[in-house]
Amino acid sequence: MSEGSSDTTSGHAVGDPESRDTHGVSGWIRQRTRLTEENRYAYKLILPAIAMMFIIHFVPIVWGFAISFMELDALYIARWTEAPFTGLSNYTRVLDPATIVGQRYWFSLRQTLIFTVGSVGGAYVLGLITALILNRGFRGSKVARTLILLPWISPIVVVLLTWRMMLLSDTGIINHLLQTAGIIDEPILWLLGSKTIISVTLTNVWIYFPWATIMLFAGLKSIPNQLYEAASIDGAGRWGKFRYVTLPQLKPVSAVVVLLMVLWSMINFTVPFVLTGGGSGRHGEVLMLFIYNYAFQNYEFGLGAAMSVALFLVAMVLAMVYYRKVIDDSFGGGIGG
Amino acid sequence: MKMKDEHRDMLFDLLAKSVLVCILIFALFPIYWMVITSFRTWSDVTQTDPSLLPTSFYYQNYLDMWDRFPLIDYFVNSLVISLTTTALALFIGSLAAYAFSRYDFPGKQLFGGAILGTQMIPGVLILLPMYLLFVWVQTNVGIPLRNTYHGMIFVYTTFTVPFAIWMLRGFFDTIPAALEDAARIDGCTRFQALIRIVFPLAAPGIAATGMFVFIAAFNEVLFASILASSDVTPFAIGITRFEARSQTFWGQMMAASTVATIPLLALFILFQRPIVEGLTSGSVKQ
Repeated sequence: MSEGSSDTTSGHAVGDPESRDTHGVSGWIRQRTRLTEENRYAYKLILPAIAMMFIIHFVPIVWGFAISFMELDALYIARWTEAPFTGLSNYTRVLDPATIVGQRYWFSLRQTLIFTVGSVGGAYVLGLITALILNRGFRGSKVARTLILLPWISPIVVVLLTWRMMLLSDTGIINHLLQTAGIIDEPILWLLGSKTIISVTLTNVWIYFPWATIMLFAGLKSIPNQLYEAASIDGAGRWGKFRYVTLPQLKPVSAVVVLLMVLWSMINFTVPFVLTGGGSGRHGEVLMLFIYNYAFQNYEFGLGAAMSVALFLVAMVLAMVYYRKVIDDSFGGGIGG
Repeated sequence: MKMKDEHRDMLFDLLAKSVLVCILIFALFPIYWMVITSFRTWSDVTQTDPSLLPTSFYYQNYLDMWDRFPLIDYFVNSLVISLTTTALALFIGSLAAYAFSRYDFPGKQLFGGAILGTQMIPGVLILLPMYLLFVWVQTNVGIPLRNTYHGMIFVYTTFTVPFAIWMLRGFFDTIPAALEDAARIDGCTRFQALIRIVFPLAAPGIAATGMFVFIAAFNEVLFASILASSDVTPFAIGITRFEARSQTFWGQMMAASTVATIPLLALFILFQRPIVEGLTSGSVKQ
């Protein structure tokens, strides 16, 4: 940073008088030089972030892409540079439902889909309901807002282990409550077999909905009151106001909330990993977990990379389409603007 | 007619409040259950018909948990890694977020896209290359990175910087640039103006961002499970070891969980205004 400060001192010497004189040709030229000086300064400020992102994000991604075209297994892990290039064979193996890995890949993809749609849908609806109620602003609503956020602040691993304990089939409180209430007769195996994905999804709804609540609540606060008054004059009831004022006005915030939750869910590792105790068979094994288990247990790193690349591409395409369609419309430039 | 409307409003209000109570129970029950269980004896925890209310005050769990596993080491490892990560990510992120908030430099759109792009990278895609990179650096440069504090800190800092930039940018946007201009007329350099004027004004936002960075680093398990074994095992990995095939020490596990959770919740309640503002500022601003 020492380099930066010496430069900015000289920049300041030039920069000071010109901030007053912005008229005429000379002012215009000075403005131009000032811009580039500002740019140089801006680049210096983002340089450390860029450098780190380059090493930890960019290089490994390119590397990962490269590995996905190699047959990198236990034989070659110590001398990975010598692993043979096999073209697209990793991809064809993964995408072919006839192979064992392909069959499991497609199964995990469906699990990921259930997990993502379920988590985002559940968290959004629950978050919206909570935000709407909190927005009514009664006594104690501020306290309620704070309490709602506690699940999101608690350490995830800790709450996941708590949920795991609650979901145990024999001693867990959830089965006990359901049985006492007479909803079920036999204890349900929440963490084994086909119910696992439901448990993982529900737990994730619990983790995400407080965040959705607070985002949507802020969105509700920013809706001008006149719109509701106008709707009242037009004779709109409670439902009419919600349908024709609240929902359309919430669209920009909703777009961000849904996009981020979709991306977070698709690449979520912690929730399924900890809740299922590292994986309890194929059920509940979303792609991230499957890739992790498959690649690192069988030393099939080439295959693992190919599956990760596929997941990354899906996430990116999804985000780009969505970004263009929804967020650009609402923000006119989004995060970059 | 008017009476009827009032009745309906009251009924609706009652309905809304009862729904909120249900949601609150749903949100808070696991945290309540964690604390309750931490004070239960082994036989209470393993009962097939557990009681919803506190049954015992068996604080022995809080004493025994330290002996079962090197829990104190897990805590220390997590704190060293997470706190250093927070400090670094805040510093690096603030600089970038400030540039992002104040200047229109060529490539800004690309930079913004890259920040968003980092949120879509599946961890497993870069986990193996990172592992190979760590091994390569160790053999060719001689700097050990696996199972070290600095290795984990470097990785976590990079993971959290993009999110920090996004959040901090929202806070810097709310600080009028006129204040820095005034400081510069008084003879401050740009960098001095940033350090002396902007950072102090953005302190609540920086604190809130710091809390999120800390939480993210504290909770990370994917990279920790591969890159940090033995000496630097963080709490997030260590706590899972209470669950063994033979016998799970739920009481002690929940006691350790409570110890890790309560300080965070207390911090959150103290700093909640900037945290809530920071969460929403990036995306609700119109």
